[in-house]
Amino acid sequence: MAAELQQENKLAKLIGNFLVSRLSLADLQHLAAKKKVPVHKHSLWYYMGGITMIYFAVQVVTGILLMVYYVPEINAAHASILKINSQIDFGWFIRSLHSWGSTLMILSAAVHLFSSFFMRAYRQPREITWWAGLVLMILCLAFGFTGYLLPWDDLSFFATKVGLDITAKAPLVGGLLGPLLKGGNMISQATISRFFGIHVAILPLTLISLLAVHLMLVQSHGMSEPAAFADTPPEKRRYEPFFPDFFFKDMLVWILALNVLFVLVVLFPWGVGPEANPFAPAPIGIKPEWYFLGAFQFLKLIPPMVGPIEGELFGILAMSLVGLGFLIMPFIDNGSQRRRALLATIYGVAVVLGLIFLSIWGALS
Amino acid sequence: MNYPVWVVPYLGGSWVIGIIAIIHIFISHFAVGCGAFFALAEELAYRRGDERIYAFLKQHSRFFVLVTTVAGAVTGVGIWFAVSLVGPDGIASLIQCFSLAWAEEYLFFVAELATAFAYYYTWNKISRQKHLLLARLYMIFSIATLVIINGMLTFMLTPGKWLTSHNWVDGFFNPTYCPSLIIRLLIMFALAGMYALVTSSRIAEPKFRTFMVRYCAKWLLPVFVIGPVVGFWYLTQIPQATMHTIFTGIQSSGVGNFSILARALYLSLILSGTIILFNFFGPYLNPRGFTFRIALLFLVCGLAVTGTTEWMRELLRKPYIVYGYLYSNGMHTDELPAKVDASFLKKGRWATAMATPDMPPVAKGELLFRYECMSCHTVRGYRSMKTLLGPRDEDALVGFLQLLRMRDRSVNPYSGIMPPLVASDDELQCLSKYLATINQKERAQAISMSH
Repeated sequence: MAAELQQENKLAKLIGNFLVSRLSLADLQHLAAKKKVPVHKHSLWYYMGGITMIYFAVQVVTGILLMVYYVPEINAAHASILKINSQIDFGWFIRSLHSWGSTLMILSAAVHLFSSFFMRAYRQPREITWWAGLVLMILCLAFGFTGYLLPWDDLSFFATKVGLDITAKAPLVGGLLGPLLKGGNMISQATISRFFGIHVAILPLTLISLLAVHLMLVQSHGMSEPAAFADTPPEKRRYEPFFPDFFFKDMLVWILALNVLFVLVVLFPWGVGPEANPFAPAPIGIKPEWYFLGAFQFLKLIPPMVGPIEGELFGILAMSLVGLGFLIMPFIDNGSQRRRALLATIYGVAVVLGLIFLSIWGALS
Repeated sequence: MNYPVWVVPYLGGSWVIGIIAIIHIFISHFAVGCGAFFALAEELAYRRGDERIYAFLKQHSRFFVLVTTVAGAVTGVGIWFAVSLVGPDGIASLIQCFSLAWAEEYLFFVAELATAFAYYYTWNKISRQKHLLLARLYMIFSIATLVIINGMLTFMLTPGKWLTSHNWVDGFFNPTYCPSLIIRLLIMFALAGMYALVTSSRIAEPKFRTFMVRYCAKWLLPVFVIGPVVGFWYLTQIPQATMHTIFTGIQSSGVGNFSILARALYLSLILSGTIILFNFFGPYLNPRGFTFRIALLFLVCGLAVTGTTEWMRELLRKPYIVYGYLYSNGMHTDELPAKVDASFLKKGRWATAMATPDMPPVAKGELLFRYECMSCHTVRGYRSMKTLLGPRDEDALVGFLQLLRMRDRSVNPYSGIMPPLVASDDELQCLSKYLATINQKERAQAISMSH
């Protein structure tokens, strides 16, 4: 039986040896074989980073393809999207992959972020990895925000207008950032041009660079281990080699993640609304994309004035404070005290539940 | 129209059949595919004298007998009940055409069941050679049931020469018979491999586990190598109008007119692609890491692609039950009245009996709706009339129904997608009155918005 298996693998080995020697892959192979992945009941969460990465790869590929036909010009943007959807062979498919891909990328990034948080992956020595992850999450949201305007339809126009008005009220940077993004007093050609530039050049470059740092740090520190696993005696801890065991399982998860994306695209292809008319009244009940719904609903709940502070500014300050909590968490919960760990858990659970509750409320209201 | 109508709210009768049939297909495909799997794997064990393969097959056969005999029998009988209630005209036509074939089907089915029980209960009780013979017998009987049922299933889409000769042999060996038989066999082998992967993933000894996982993974290879060629052959044999519907669905995918048929086709292709990659990177390349949970997930994917492909096959013959002969609402093509405005309620036996002269117009309209539309539509639910009618008022509905009465494709864009509407002018008014009671809310909303 063993001889038979060897026979089967002969061709694979031949190709493998060729590539290893020609591409000097031995060092990489050694590194991958040395890397171990802890095996425990929370191992499932280790796959979330890979899923986010595969969705990002889809965004890059489909984004490049969409750029072939998309025209970032105020009178042609909407028509070019219509053309992609109706005249270009499988253009609707590529566009839907891009639109659904962005949604899934943000969702998986959020799940990755919170699962890392609850596994205490922000603790020493992984503080920089954690901060890089936080910035990557913000970049993902920025991708969603800037890409949303580009089809130049009714909904995207007014949702972006609301978003930019909120940005302009942000403390310290709002006064600069609002007009800088808008390129004038109102959303216009300058806004589309800027959003397009940010979406296809600035954000990808920043994200790829930061992702490289994030991955490099993950590689150098290894996978984080939950406290319960780290506390067990070494002889009871189980690890599996990153290559090939974890890597091939990762591939299976990627295939399934892509499958989810394709199924969504096929069953619910992404549509396009009527062309934006800046002079028309905003549609009734306008709402942002799901990932901004929680924040949107929170701002809606705040009265126009909270004491001496304007309501929206108060809301933005409150949300910034929540964000700050994640930023300084490595200093609060450094693993020295149980009480602090409990506090971090309560904080994380409260934020997750609050976000889910507000998002559902926002969607239903 | 010759039988009572079974009203299934929200889901619709067709889905009652669909759900039971899809579950039955999962089991029946497993039963036939596993017949071949047992025969070949046991031969391997016999030639090598490998006790480990024998032990594996014994364990696998317990799961196999339980699933195929219990769940297979329950769903098989369930299909007959559901079909008799939802589409009595269709099943009546199949029974009348293929009485002999049905009898043979039951004969082989009984033989298949008896051999399955004998196979399981004679482990270690008869000689290895005799047990292998039982495995081969089971394979032959189970494939024979497929060989027969395939004739009836393919007849419904491509009745071929039967339409003119009415000879059952012409209907049985119809244009899609051969490609369908091959492709079904290939799918059955693949599913047998997937089911066996679940059992293999639980083998404790690492080396033997690796061997068995790889062996099972290879059962998926034929469908991916030969499948596309036979699939293409199958497509060349289906009616021209059906191909036209597929292409229209694909071309209009991006502009909202996205047909269910096109979606089912895409889903089937995407899920098949997933299976190929999953099989390669999972059990074949990494048999050690192919755990029980992953095997179950893989099986779910396999069943999903089988279910979707069957759903697509069913959609291909819309708006017929038997293509070119019997419409999905039970009306035979040769019974279509020559005059466009001929009465419907004076034709069918049961429908005529139900339509009393003093019947109020709305009730008469509902009766017409049940007989002519409900085989594909529900009031609220699957292919909901409430959604499809939108805010149309009674006059608009009359105009729309007059369009549906036309049989000329250049005038009626729904011709070929829906059965032609048969209704006298009076019946048409009654039907529109009934339909107007369904979308009252939508109409009121549209009026308030326009104000």
